[in-house]
Amino acid sequence: MIQISRSSDARSKSSDPEVTRRSGSTKKTSRVLAVSTLLPLYRRRAAIVPPSLPVATSRFRRSFSPSHPHQFEAKVSCPICKGPVREKQVKGFKRLLLPFIAKEEQTQTACNKTMPRTTTVECPGCPPLRAITFDSLGLIKVVEARGERGGAPSVVERWGDPDASKCVLAASFDDTKHDPLLAVARKNGLIEIINSLNGDLHVSIPNVGDAGVQPEDDGIVGLHLFKRRRQESLSRSCTLLTCSTKGNASMRSIEVSNPAESTSVDSIKSWNVCGSGTVLCSKVDGNEKYALFGGKGVEVNVWDLEMCTKIWTAKAPPKNSLGIFTPTWFTSATFLSTDDHRKFVAGTNSHQVRLYDTSAQRRPVMSFDFRETPIKAIAEEPEGYNIYIGNGSGDLASVDIRTGKLLGCFLGKCSGSIRSIARHPTLPVIASCGLDSYLRFWDIKTRQLLSAVFMKQHLLEVVFDSNFDDKEVTHAASDVLVQEPQNMDEIQEDETETEPVKRKKTPKVKDESKKRASKENEESKKLKSKKKSKRVKAESDD
Amino acid sequence: MGVKRKKSEAEELVEGGKSNDKNIESSYKKKREILPSMIKNKEKRSIVHAKMKQEKKLEKRKKLKARDANEKRALELGEEPPPRAIPRTIENTRELDETVCRPDDEELFAGNDADEFSSVLKQERTPKILMTTCRYNSTRGPAFIKELQAVIPNAHYFKRGTYDLKKIVDYANKKDFTSIIVVHTNRREPDALLMIGLPNGPTAHFKLSKLVLRKEIKNHGNPTGHKPELVLNNFTTRLGHRIGRLIQSLFPQDPEFRGRRVATFHNQRDFIFFRHHRYIFESKESKGSDSKVKKVKDAKGEKIAQERVIARLQECGPRFTLKLISLQHGTFDTKGGEFEWVHKPEMDTSRRRFFL
Repeated sequence: MIQISRSSDARSKSSDPEVTRRSGSTKKTSRVLAVSTLLPLYRRRAAIVPPSLPVATSRFRRSFSPSHPHQFEAKVSCPICKGPVREKQVKGFKRLLLPFIAKEEQTQTACNKTMPRTTTVECPGCPPLRAITFDSLGLIKVVEARGERGGAPSVVERWGDPDASKCVLAASFDDTKHDPLLAVARKNGLIEIINSLNGDLHVSIPNVGDAGVQPEDDGIVGLHLFKRRRQESLSRSCTLLTCSTKGNASMRSIEVSNPAESTSVDSIKSWNVCGSGTVLCSKVDGNEKYALFGGKGVEVNVWDLEMCTKIWTAKAPPKNSLGIFTPTWFTSATFLSTDDHRKFVAGTNSHQVRLYDTSAQRRPVMSFDFRETPIKAIAEEPEGYNIYIGNGSGDLASVDIRTGKLLGCFLGKCSGSIRSIARHPTLPVIASCGLDSYLRFWDIKTRQLLSAVFMKQHLLEVVFDSNFDDKEVTHAASDVLVQEPQNMDEIQEDETETEPVKRKKTPKVKDESKKRASKENEESKKLKSKKKSKRVKAESDD
Repeated sequence: MGVKRKKSEAEELVEGGKSNDKNIESSYKKKREILPSMIKNKEKRSIVHAKMKQEKKLEKRKKLKARDANEKRALELGEEPPPRAIPRTIENTRELDETVCRPDDEELFAGNDADEFSSVLKQERTPKILMTTCRYNSTRGPAFIKELQAVIPNAHYFKRGTYDLKKIVDYANKKDFTSIIVVHTNRREPDALLMIGLPNGPTAHFKLSKLVLRKEIKNHGNPTGHKPELVLNNFTTRLGHRIGRLIQSLFPQDPEFRGRRVATFHNQRDFIFFRHHRYIFESKESKGSDSKVKKVKDAKGEKIAQERVIARLQECGPRFTLKLISLQHGTFDTKGGEFEWVHKPEMDTSRRRFFL
């Protein structure tokens, strides 16, 4: 026992200076820190900061919790380069980071309110972007993330009424600056062309197949809205490539006009992709001259769209060492780069990813396995050699296609099959969606989840709107141009003013509510803790 | 402006500091006490620990007594008794979940109308269940199946034989079954349950544990052949809602209340507890000083006042616990199946996160 007491003495001595320092520093800690005294000790220690550091840094310090050493980097990253922010940088970035800080503070206070520490989803927020999702009830939802909202994306618009027969099977997006259009194939056999800015329906045409074929039996799997041809011909017409599960591919050009007027469908070119089997995936290459089709019992074949001829068919890989032959069942495919139509990647139902090179051989150049469920979505990096693959159990990974090496997985509690992956044309962001009805945005380099939006329905397709970003920037630029002649300092002040005012307001409101609550307590109970009384006093000093 | 802000911040700092000082001091004092975990001798440690525990217990008892006394006094004085503190549990500090269903969500109802169970739940099809087992099945397995058949009306047991599950699904589709239940047994003990909605409904895979058969329940009752009532508790999120509907589609939607038979699926912290009860309403003679309601009734008729209706429960049938492992889109397909929800280890980072 003696020994024990001595040791404890020694401990207290050693900790003495620390305590004095701490008590000295606590005089200048913020009120939020007073709340933080409720935290367990090790967190509190992290919360207390020497007074010399700027306020913003102290905030960052608070976000650092020893249980998750990566949290610091994950939560606070530079909005421009996505790199972790060091303490020195913070001062400079303070203005830029303010929305992030404010958001963080909210989460922090929320954490403190529900006292037992709960882990929140760490989302550093998104760069400004606009994505459009299509779901199983035929709804089209627009998700936007804006800089001023702290980068949290949210559903902005919803087009269409929930109707299961209008379930979206395929969608294609013509991403031009002037008059962007959206083509959507529905389960009831209609193909709709929609203005992607306001959701106005331009044309709705029935999928004319062979006579006597029900649209439900022969759903559309592949849809492509051609881009360049529309730009060339300034007349309001567009060209569509559709492909149904039974292999009926057709190309048609449509006059885009008001839905009230009769739409003229002219120049239908149609052909049959396969004799038997079901087509499950189709893709058009970047130059829009070639298309590939593949499916269950259908080997991947590449077609020349101008001549409407099959130019290449894949050959099934040989039996394996046990003499077992895996039946062909392609579930997804994509061309590797926009310029080259010769190389493409296909994913199979037997969780294999295969790289084909049409100029080399008919069998896959390379193939590798990914996990244990079918590959459901593949997206390529336009400039680079990475591909993104998503499978039936919600695993998303990026792979270097030159070597077939797994670069890393995107971890984010994704629990449902991934149906679609989209790569943002300019920003280093990909979006994935699927049966768990979440739309997730990921950073490519760090492979971190930027944010997840709950969309309520099974999502089937997602596309990015690249023009949104441009608009934002131009708006911002024009604003600055207007203000510039006045005074630079003023502008800066304005900018700094707006943010802190917001931040200051919120705690004040909270204080008031606290006051009210405490007063009510007084009335009802006439019993209060010492702490509360102190806090009330402090506020009355305010 | 920046300067201004700093000033106010500084004020806050000073104010916060005052209350902080005390807290830190007190915590510091506590630190100096000898914690039992610091004692190395086990015997002494356990003595100290026992002492502390006893003290804690006494303290708690004192607190409770004081509270009760307070309440009593308040009642005597005719005041409102102070509200009882709600204990903090894992459920009521559950992590915020945006997927929790709201009654005003029109998309939810539209989704419900469109989903695979709607034809059964709207009574367009009568539920007809095919029950089967895994390939090797003995002792507890068949007994469990028998009892499950007693719980779920219109359930037909088929011997598994050596058929593939996919072929069984095809067969059941042809024979107009609405769902399939597969009981998986391991070492003669049922340990998994597979529910497949037909014709294209989802497949739910549950872990089954804590199985208690009817025989092992004391004072158990024997169920009648009436269609049971169904109680589904706490299926709150979208996933939970879907699982709830899957379970609901196993039972007929027109219960016979004469049978007074209830099957309960109660979800708590993602575990689904199944119980099967018979209930009865009994009228008992009540004592004079009961409540005001009775006195009001007194004015109407004296006979009613003396009688009080109580419900009594008797448990019958099996008792077991389910835990969802995965929910698959479409019918059973292990190789090419797509999952709507799979449990992954990375989801288990918090005790307060629940999915159902």
